[in-house]
Amino acid sequence: MKNVALQSLTPLGEIANAYSSVQLTQHVKLRRRRMHEVTGASADIFATMAASKCEPDVIWIGLGRDITPLCPNGLHPYLNPERVIIVEAVSRAEILWAADVALRAEGGFTVIADMPDALTLKESRRLQLAAEQGGGIGLIILRGPANTSAAQTRWRCDPVASDEPAWDWECLKGKSGEAGLWNIREAEVRYGEDHGDLSASATA
Amino acid sequence: MARIMAIYLPRLPLDRLVRNGDVRLSGPFAVTAEQKNAWRVTHPNPSAIKLGVRAGQPLADGRAICPDLLSEPADPVREGLLLRALWRWADCLSPKVALAPPDGLLLDIAGCSHLFEGEAAMGQFSLQRLSDLMITARIGIADTKMAARAMAQFGSQTVVIAPAGETASSLSKLPIAAMALSEKLTTDLARTGLTSIGQLYQQKSSELARRFGLELTQALGAITGQAPDPVTPKAADPVYAARMTLPEPIGFLEDLESVLKRLSDQITKRLQADQKGARQFHLTVRCVDTGDHHRSIGFARPCFEPDPILRQFSHPLSKLEIEYGADWFRLVASHVEPIRLRQMAMGDHAKKNDHRFQLIETLGNRIGFDHVRIFRPKDSHIPECEFEQIEAVHAKPHKWAQSARERPIRLFAPPEFVHVETAGRPPLSFKWRRMSFDARTSSGPERLTPRWHTDSDLRTRDYWKVQTEQGRRLWLLTYPGSDDENWYIAGEFA
Repeated sequence: MKNVALQSLTPLGEIANAYSSVQLTQHVKLRRRRMHEVTGASADIFATMAASKCEPDVIWIGLGRDITPLCPNGLHPYLNPERVIIVEAVSRAEILWAADVALRAEGGFTVIADMPDALTLKESRRLQLAAEQGGGIGLIILRGPANTSAAQTRWRCDPVASDEPAWDWECLKGKSGEAGLWNIREAEVRYGEDHGDLSASATA
Repeated sequence: MARIMAIYLPRLPLDRLVRNGDVRLSGPFAVTAEQKNAWRVTHPNPSAIKLGVRAGQPLADGRAICPDLLSEPADPVREGLLLRALWRWADCLSPKVALAPPDGLLLDIAGCSHLFEGEAAMGQFSLQRLSDLMITARIGIADTKMAARAMAQFGSQTVVIAPAGETASSLSKLPIAAMALSEKLTTDLARTGLTSIGQLYQQKSSELARRFGLELTQALGAITGQAPDPVTPKAADPVYAARMTLPEPIGFLEDLESVLKRLSDQITKRLQADQKGARQFHLTVRCVDTGDHHRSIGFARPCFEPDPILRQFSHPLSKLEIEYGADWFRLVASHVEPIRLRQMAMGDHAKKNDHRFQLIETLGNRIGFDHVRIFRPKDSHIPECEFEQIEAVHAKPHKWAQSARERPIRLFAPPEFVHVETAGRPPLSFKWRRMSFDARTSSGPERLTPRWHTDSDLRTRDYWKVQTEQGRRLWLLTYPGSDDENWYIAGEFA
């Protein structure tokens, strides 16, 4: 785990063109009009990082207990808090409804849904369809174990003990064959620095 | 020459209750208000007056004099609404009507009185119409506002008229109190032995000004018409509302929607004509069996088109439970604001903004506008007070400056307790949320002094950033120099 074997992205069944996907780092791309699931202790950073590269308006939906601790000053290095609209839902059903509406809305919003537990297949299909209709990108932070779902990719994002902030991003599931494990350094994910230090992610 | 009619409503709070059919008013009754640290009688009814209750008396005294006295606190808001209703009614007398709260109306009747066959007839006519409305009134007509009001309030009859040009002489018999001066000035004048307005005329105005200040001479000028004091009428705010009554009750959703469509078409047409938009719409549906149901929707920007109204109402309407049908509908626009018509969105930016507002509206109308928020920076050095969340509807995104100090992505307030296993500063190993952590590196402390001006938490805080062996980067907090030697997790870095 510590000694990360970095694999390059296997472009099986090519991940569409650059226009319809979001380049997170040199090797990590996320498809637009799709829903992506993120698990792990640092799922937040993956979602914020992805959101910073997507559409300007970010809708962050979650229960009060997950939404209130969000600290804009902490988000700022990765995602400008001006762009965030927070939606505090009172139940799981409300999160799903809000995520559905926000994904379906015209204008292609970036939707981060902080789910207390896994999505069922039906729910994830609904969100997936909404994302296809709206043109934004859906990022589902899963607090619990994941389930079979219609998401395009599923990522696990864990922090790594090192001198500067670093994370392991592992693609657990990819519908188009994306898979791999990347070690990401902070320099890569700060917004404003388009393609930061890539040294960590290159070794195969 | 201006001619002013003042309508004085001495019993407005009582009349309001009479109009509501309050049965308590058949016996001794008084409307009370809290004045000078006591509940005092402000408006006793005639049977209470007969038994010796007076306005200005403490309620306790009133009860002692008249043990059967019933009372109710004044309701200034409802009385104000009744006065506003009368103000709109007074349009039938003159086009220029001004409110004189809390208990009067002022009408500029120059050029109107001949329509009622003279001023006296006009006064009687108004009095008659008001008594039809179950309102007690007194009327004064004079050349100036203050004189008319003084005539109405202190005149010997219900309609008192000062002939044109003879205002000053008609006023001379009235007491000084009729000038509506400040209380101190009234007592000062009473102390010098001046009791009626006529006595003031005999004094030199320079003398009066020297002794009592300019307020008195200015009031004297205004009441006699030497200084201009015009009636400033206010047009009634237009009410953007539409109502529909059906001969047969309806209950199907499509029917309700078509009713709503017609109502919103009417309102939006009027709003557009006035270049206005409304941020809230209230719909009242009167069911034949269950009475009125109220539904409201809000908008992030003034709305003047029927389609968004229908769209936002579709959810509340579908939730409405109508069993036997509804036959009365009313749609009101509130929070009406002027709109600036703009060019059709050409660029992407304007369109994006439209989409953003639309989404906020949709989310807000369903889960509450207070649940859709944005961040706003605040000026503070305490981490949890550096920002706040405000409703997204009324706010524009705030510019965000880079924070001077590093802050965690999630901030726990209140901080969460840490079970220390190996002590240290910060602890070398600890348990948090049933997970064990070993510190690998740490940096700190960041010492924050308390906000002495708030009495909530006066402990100094030390924050440490700890990189754990397990990977997670935590923000540990302790309170140095206080009894509490525990450690807490104040936040987690990304």
